[in-house]
Order: sequence, then structure tokens, then C-alpha cells
Amino acid sequence: MSRGILSLARSMPVRLACSLVALFAVVSLASLAASYAVSWNSLDATMREDLRQDMAGFRAAPSALALAALVNAEGKVTDPNRMLLSYFAPNGQHFGNAALTRDENGYHLTQPSGEGISGQYLALTDDLYGGELTIARSRTEIDDLWLVFRRIVLVSLLPTILVALSGGLWLARRSAAQVEVMENTLERLTSGNLAARVDPAPGWSEDMLQIGRRIDRMAAAQQLTVETLRQVSSDVAHDLKTPIQRVAVRLDDLTRHHGLAPEARALIDDARADLDDVVSVFHALLQIAQVESGTPKSRFAAVDLGTLAETMAELYEPAAADTGHTLTVTATPGAAVWGGRDLLGQVLANLIENALRHTPEGTAIAVTVTAEADTVRLTVADTGPGIPAAERTAVLQRLYRLDRSRHTPGSGLGLSLVSVVAGLHEAEVTLDDNAPGLVVRLTFRRCRNGAGPSSAPEIPVAAN
Amino acid sequence: MRPLPDIPLPRPIQICNLAFPCRCATHIPILKTPPKGRGATENAAETMKLLVIEDDATTGAYIARGLREEGQAVDLVDNGRDGLVQATAGAYDVLIVDRMLPEIDGMTLVKTLRGAGNRTPVLFLTSLGSVDDRIAGLNAGGDDYLVKPFAFGELSARVAALARRPQALEQDTKLTAGDLTMDLVTRQVMRAGRKIDLLPREFALLEHLLRRKGRVQTRTMLLESVWDISFDPKTNVVETHISRLRAKIDKPFPTELIQTMRGAGYRIEG
Repeated sequence: MSRGILSLARSMPVRLACSLVALFAVVSLASLAASYAVSWNSLDATMREDLRQDMAGFRAAPSALALAALVNAEGKVTDPNRMLLSYFAPNGQHFGNAALTRDENGYHLTQPSGEGISGQYLALTDDLYGGELTIARSRTEIDDLWLVFRRIVLVSLLPTILVALSGGLWLARRSAAQVEVMENTLERLTSGNLAARVDPAPGWSEDMLQIGRRIDRMAAAQQLTVETLRQVSSDVAHDLKTPIQRVAVRLDDLTRHHGLAPEARALIDDARADLDDVVSVFHALLQIAQVESGTPKSRFAAVDLGTLAETMAELYEPAAADTGHTLTVTATPGAAVWGGRDLLGQVLANLIENALRHTPEGTAIAVTVTAEADTVRLTVADTGPGIPAAERTAVLQRLYRLDRSRHTPGSGLGLSLVSVVAGLHEAEVTLDDNAPGLVVRLTFRRCRNGAGPSSAPEIPVAAN
Repeated sequence: MRPLPDIPLPRPIQICNLAFPCRCATHIPILKTPPKGRGATENAAETMKLLVIEDDATTGAYIARGLREEGQAVDLVDNGRDGLVQATAGAYDVLIVDRMLPEIDGMTLVKTLRGAGNRTPVLFLTSLGSVDDRIAGLNAGGDDYLVKPFAFGELSARVAALARRPQALEQDTKLTAGDLTMDLVTRQVMRAGRKIDLLPREFALLEHLLRRKGRVQTRTMLLESVWDISFDPKTNVVETHISRLRAKIDKPFPTELIQTMRGAGYRIEG
């Protein structure tokens, strides 16, 4: 699995599990808190009632002497940790297992010896037969309630959270595998392999299954479109090329006639040149359509753009010198991109030819290939008349020609091809002012270690 | 009547239950027995035996006539089925096959031939000119590829190159033409006792022409083998390279070694 635990933790099932756990925890804690408050209150009320009952029981004693005897007897058998009894008889004599003392801070219950008692007690004091009776019940029971509830939280909530989280993680892994299959399929589809399908297994979750089927339907439709386009292109090409070939044949036959006037030969040559133009426009349109269909992507490989630029510049250098242009090339080594050598070579050829054709004698044309950390930039710059800012985007459109170049040779498809080939390579094209002249920049993603832009495996990862 | 050729038939053809000989696609009738006593390579240097399978009558006749004028023996058929029979039966030096043919298309025809072990070089003619199309053609077993409309010179040069392709290129370390010698080890070029300095690409261009002495090399053939470029630039780039090469190896000398074949390409006479 290529994705880390971090991205897994950000996946939808884990997020869902986390929010569910959080919600469950809040609700559980709230209800436990409410139960705690209710229990506490009820225990507190019961204790107060018990105290009153106790007091009433002692009040039933007929005399101070009897009360003292009762308190004394009770005090002996009563655990002071549970209940404290103290009776100061009218004569000042003290009975019971605790004593009520008074200092500057107020009343305190102490042991009969005078030592302090720890713990919280709820006490009730009443004057009886001229003496003072104090009954106190320990609050330990109520305090213990807090411990009980803490244990309930630990015992019930923690396992829930653990189970929910691991369940969420398991689901996330499962759906991550399914998502990965879909991602790989999409990757292969966008890289020109239109036969790629998700083929969701029946064990997939329903929503994933549906998305998978949708992708497959979309891919099938796309494949059909491309197939149709290819069929139509090839039919049109055949039906058009046959008569064009015939015209070429007839022109050729015509030149074989002897005694042809020189003007007639010139006309034949013109007709041939026109025919060549028709063919080149036709080829360029077919090629643009094919590049746009994305199919050449399936043949992509690592291409050293620097070496290719040097080859193309070397090829064009004598032709450039003939027309009084200076063509120079500067290339950083290792500027590899993932692409089609033929297409990239044609991009270079079109840009160089464009510069040669639309700039006057003496213009310098510089081809530069530079490599950054993640990008490779191809620049073709000239010092010619340039293209007005308003028209720089338009020249990338099909058959667009600047007014001033209407009478120079060219089809108006050269830069369109550059644009669609750049699109196929996910490269960015910019046309700028070279002050003076035109600079065309193509920014590619750099390809390292001869690997493609994504190392998506060709074989879909099995998931169920 | 010879027995049926043992060739795997292309898919769309149905099994025929009729008595042979019928004219259905399954039972391919033999139209012509192969000529006897004349091997395919025997007379290759003088006369090539070529088969043109092209459904467009005008283009087919044009190719056949042009090749015959060059002294080649040419058979012409206008559909894939007859073409397959002819190609199997006759011993041809090169097959010139249109990609789109009635009855059996060019790709299937060549695949079938190759499946049956027939290795005759094939030049595909096609209306489409994309790299994909070219690769599909070459994968099907084609040896070269020519996009319509083509000039006859291009076709002729490519057919000549194909017919000789099986012969291994010279393994010599020295190539010569007239008073010019090229040493492939020291990478030195001498003409009439004078040393000529060539740039690496000029050297490669000259070497390519010298290795194919006497054969016309077209612009596109040179682009493909010397620069490894399979598209056709609009600018006359090859011409300019040739003229630079000429300035070095021909201009200072009384005779020209590199000849321009009008409408076709260049050649160094053997």
C-alpha cells in the first residue's frame, strides 16, 4: 500500500469513526454526569432523612439519663468511620464515640480523646433534655459514588472507542484499496490507455461499486469516441487522399509531355506546391485530433529534451544561416521529460520554423533548455517583431494567423500543435514579449530516473 | 491446380462448404502459378520482381508504369484477396501494399503472410501519416511506410532500399567513392590526397550515402536514418546540410560525387 498511515487517518471512514466516537463519548459522558448528579442528590437526601430518623429515635428516650445510656451503648457498637454520636449531658458529661468541640473556627467533631477525625460527615445537632446531641453520618458512601462512576466510564467508554476506531481503520484500509484501484484506473485512462477499467468486485461497498461502474461506463464511452474519431479520420483520410494522390499522379503525367511551354511547367509546379499545402494542413489537423485524443500517451518514455533541442538546432542551423538568422542552443544536461520524442521534436521544429519564417534577416533565435528541481523549461526566443500581447493566446488556436503573416507561407497550425502537444505532456505554454521579439516558454514536469510522472502500477491492485 | 496455400486466414472470412473451386473468400483460388527457374534474389541487382496491391486504378497504374520504366517486373492487383494469393504464390522482391483494400485490408494481408512464414519485404502505402499509424503498420509486419500522396521518386528509392535490405551493410572500415576515401576507424575523410574536415553530422550523412552507393536516398530517408526524425519539416533542412557537405567534398574538386536526383533525393555514384 503506497499511502501512509497519515493519509489513511485522513480518509473518510476514519474521520467518520472519529466523529462518531467523539459524539458517543460526549453523549455517554453527559448521561453519566446526569446519573451521577441524580444519584448524588438522592443519596444526600436519603442521608439527611436517615439523620432525622436517628434524631427522632433518640428523642424517644424518656430522660437525659436514658439518652446518655443509649448514646453510650450505641457509640460503643458504632463504627466511627460510618457514624459519629456525641451527647453532652446537661451536667457537661460527654457520651458517644465522638465529641463536638468548638474553637475560633467553629464546631469540630473530634474523637473523644480530642484527636481530629478525617473524612466528611453530615451532622445534625439538637438540644435534648438540656444537653446537646450530635449525630453525624459519614459521606464516604457519596464520595465513593465518584469512583464508581469513573470506573463505569473506563469500563464502558474505552472499549467502545477502541472498537470504533479500529473498525474505522479497517474500513478505511478496505475502501482505500478500492479507491486506489479506481485511482490507478483513472491514471491509466489519462495516460492514454483507454482500455483500462476498474472492474469492481461484487464484494465492494455499494457506493464504491457504483462509482467504479460509472468510471467504467465513462471510459467505455471515451474509448468508443476515440475509436469513432479514429475510424472517421481514417475514412476521411482515405477518401480525401485518394483523389489528392490522383491529382499528384496526373500532374506528374502532365510534366512528361514534351514541348510543354515553360509557363505551363511553372503552373504545374505551382499546382504541386498548392497540393503540398493542402496535404500539410490536412496532416496537421489529423495530427492535432490524434494528439487531443490522448492516444500517443501510451507510448511515452523518458526523453532528454536538451539532446533533442541540440539535434533540432543542429538540423536547422544551416537553413537558418542561409536566411541570415543566427540559431543558438544552450542545454542543461539531464533535462529529461516524460513524453513522445517525435511530438517533442515536432514542437521544437515548429517553434524554430516559426521563428525563421516570421522574423527578418539578421534575427537571433535562441533555443534554451534548463532543468530546475522539478521542472524542465524549453525556451525559444527571437528578436523579431514579436506578437502583440492581445493576440498571444489567439495564435495558439487552430488556423489563426496574424494579419501581417497572411502572405507568408504556413498553415496557422504550427503553434496549435505546440499547444496541444504541450497539453498532452501537461506542460504549460506561455508566449511573452522578448523586448523585442517573441519568447515561447514550455514548462514541463521533470522526469527522474527514467520513470513516468506517477509510478502507478500497470496491473490493478487486487482489492475486495 | 495447386493445393491451397497453407496460410492462416483472417477472421472475418467464413468457412465455406461449397465444392472447390468456388470464388468465396475461404477457398482462395490460385490465379497464377509462380514463374519457374527465377529466384527472387538472383537477378535482384538488375531486375526486381514487385507486386503492387492498390485498389485505386489511377495510383496503381501510375506506380506500375513508373516501376516498369525503371526496368522492374511489376504485377498489379486491386484487392486484398487476390493480393494475398499473388504474394503467396509468386516469389517477389518487394510487396507494395495499400493499407485500405477491399475484401482483405492491407494490415490483415501482411499479418497473414508473416504468420505463414513469408518474409518478403513490404512497403505500406497509407492515407494516414501519424506515428501511431506508422507503428501499427510496422508491428503488423511492414518494413517501411509511405504516406499518400507520395512522389514517385520516394517510392522508387524506398522500394530499392527494401529489396536490398536483407544484405548486410558493409562491415569495412574504409568506404570509397571515386577518389574519396572515408576511414571509419580514424574518422578521416580524404579526397584526391587532401584531408577534409567534416562535422560529426556531415560525417554521418556522407557515411550513410557511401554505404548505399548507387542508390537514391530521399530527404525523408536521410532524416530518418541520420537525424532519427520521422516527421517532415517544412524547411529545406536536408538540402542545406547536403549543400554544406558538397561545399567541403565536391566544390574544391573537378567532379561532383553527390548527385541530385530531381524530385527524388541524393546519390553517390558507385
